[in-house]
Amino acid sequence: MIIQVQDLVKRYGDFVAVDHLSFDVAPGEIFGLLGPNGAGKTTTIRVIMDILAPDEGEVTVLGQPPGRAKGQVGYLPEERGLYRNLKVLDTLVYLAELKGTPRGEARERGTALLERIRLEEWADRKVKDLSQGMQQRLQLVAAVIHDPEVLFLDEPFQGLDPVNVERVKSLIAEWHQAGKTIVLSSHRMNLVEVLCDRVLLINRGRSVLYGPLAQIKQAHAPHSIRVHAADLPLDLPGVIQVQPDDGAFNLTLVEGVDPKGVLRELLDRDVDLRAFEVAPVPLEDIFLAVVQDEDESEEGVNGLA
Amino acid sequence: MDWRKVWVVARHEYLHSVRRPGFIIMTAIVPLFGILVLFVGTFFAGQASRLGDFFVEQFDSTSQRIGVVDRSGYFTPILPEYRERFLLYEGESEAETALLAEEVTTVLVIGEDYLETGRVVAVTKGSGFGSAAVSDSGSVRGFFVDHLLAGQVDPALQRRAANPMSVEPRVVSSRGESQGEGAWGFVFTFVVPYVLSIFLVMTIFISSGYLLQSVAEEKESRVVEIVVSSVRPIELMSGKVIGLGAVGLTQVMVWMLSAVGFSSGAVALLAVVGAASIPARVLILGVVYYLLGYTLYAILMAGVGALGATSQESQQLAGIFSMFAAVPYMISGFLFANPNALLARILSFFPLTAPTMMMLRLPLAEVPWIDVAGSIILLLLSIPVALWAGGKLFRVGLLIYGKRPTLKEIWLILREG
Repeated sequence: MIIQVQDLVKRYGDFVAVDHLSFDVAPGEIFGLLGPNGAGKTTTIRVIMDILAPDEGEVTVLGQPPGRAKGQVGYLPEERGLYRNLKVLDTLVYLAELKGTPRGEARERGTALLERIRLEEWADRKVKDLSQGMQQRLQLVAAVIHDPEVLFLDEPFQGLDPVNVERVKSLIAEWHQAGKTIVLSSHRMNLVEVLCDRVLLINRGRSVLYGPLAQIKQAHAPHSIRVHAADLPLDLPGVIQVQPDDGAFNLTLVEGVDPKGVLRELLDRDVDLRAFEVAPVPLEDIFLAVVQDEDESEEGVNGLA
Repeated sequence: MDWRKVWVVARHEYLHSVRRPGFIIMTAIVPLFGILVLFVGTFFAGQASRLGDFFVEQFDSTSQRIGVVDRSGYFTPILPEYRERFLLYEGESEAETALLAEEVTTVLVIGEDYLETGRVVAVTKGSGFGSAAVSDSGSVRGFFVDHLLAGQVDPALQRRAANPMSVEPRVVSSRGESQGEGAWGFVFTFVVPYVLSIFLVMTIFISSGYLLQSVAEEKESRVVEIVVSSVRPIELMSGKVIGLGAVGLTQVMVWMLSAVGFSSGAVALLAVVGAASIPARVLILGVVYYLLGYTLYAILMAGVGALGATSQESQQLAGIFSMFAAVPYMISGFLFANPNALLARILSFFPLTAPTMMMLRLPLAEVPWIDVAGSIILLLLSIPVALWAGGKLFRVGLLIYGKRPTLKEIWLILREG
């Protein structure tokens, strides 16, 4: 495992920001660290980056304690900025040198990365002369200037317009293809879920959902499908209820029944099908449902107490 | 501690700061001033030896004409050598008319009982300042002595009585070594070292001010989070302290070399006889106090700079320390009278005032060695304490955005880390 977090606890005074959190990040995957604002994502990343010390638990990065592998880890913080009065290329070179990259190599890599994000003509201009979008692209490549193995991107789409969101997405995909392990942290779950292999959803410092995205979606898929057809038999196996709805039918399935089986049955019976859809459930909806369930059960416990 | 990273930070801070226009202008001021003085000095080379006289003349009132009303008879007629400057009037009304017509600036009315009482009324127009200046003037005193003794004593004795001494300043160290004579000796043993020490003190604040600015800017622009994900806060702080200390040292070296060059240039170009060099103790101890003072202040400024949410706020917080360092300046008038006074000595043993105090005292007098040793030892001891406190504040302060911690929170940070 590239990153291992075991029972991590971080407190600020009486406030518990991260509460016994455990997860692993596998080599080469895109891992989503998701949750609403204030869930404890940034604190978790800061502990992994050795900016904060954990109160309890164990964290390893590339098999070493946090801080030992700083040169192999890249970081785009949520709170970001650059040296406004420094030249664009000098900024990249300095940040690479801080990570331990030799000066000459840093200069070569910086020049190549500026070409990649189409800022090569701005290399000798000051950072403050760049537009907002340009600065955001520069910040992103500053995180990979030292060619890290692991990359932490905390809210990488924050403040970006749709054009830049797509640019950033394509850069992330490119780095993923190049074999880098990427940890994406965001509160905008729907925007990042398309990129992630596995996710950890956290709320109030605690793990809510953790595992491969596909599995999570499957496990939390609603037991319903929507069928557009002229007419529908009522005795379909595995279907509890058929409800007509605006020229279509909503079918409620028995828990654990595969919608593909229902489709096969409809085709076998030669039903005049015009459309068949398993409604995709956004990750955010799953998250909200799980969190709501937790809150309700917690209230119940508190109420009893 | 990864010293390679400390070096990267130090080099970055150094190169970034020495390119600032403010730094270049400030550093160039001293050599430019030296060149200007040498140029002017060479131009008036023949009159260099009269430099001292020139200063004295500025405070003398020999160009003023004085009216005399003599009721005692001792000053009538006026001796030929005084006739140009001193005009005799028959009566007071006549003299006052001349005063109002600005023919004379002062009228001296010498009473009949002058010999017994020495009473002389000095009448001036406007403020009483002119009459005070006249009564203090060497040439007016000469006028009285010459007239009283004319023809009664040996002319040589008369001249000496009129002008009892001609003072020539000469400075020796405690070991009895001569450090220069005449006006140039005064310039090199006092003026240059004193100005130099003021510049050194300024450098402490300029360099630690750069440090404060650098920390506050990194924090304000949020770039600090990327930086501390790459280097440990103690490495960042050390790099900044070293890099910006070197910036100040560069400035100090340029100034000192130009001061030394200025003094040897004066010897070579102006052929100043007996002109001395700047006392070595001022140069060496100056650098020692600069390094210690800067390190102490820089660490404290780094810690405090990290607490402010904006650079403006950080500067306000750092004002507390600047105030301490300014105390010796506030008492500098009193320092001239006695550089080894008790208060000056006490302030030399307090780490926050010691660098400024000692730098101001050094050119003024032979400072007791116990003060030098004591202040250096105390500064050396206080630096690790500052590093402990400043380091903690720096580490915690860097990631506090948006609000300034209260005094209670600062105390908690120091206690818990």
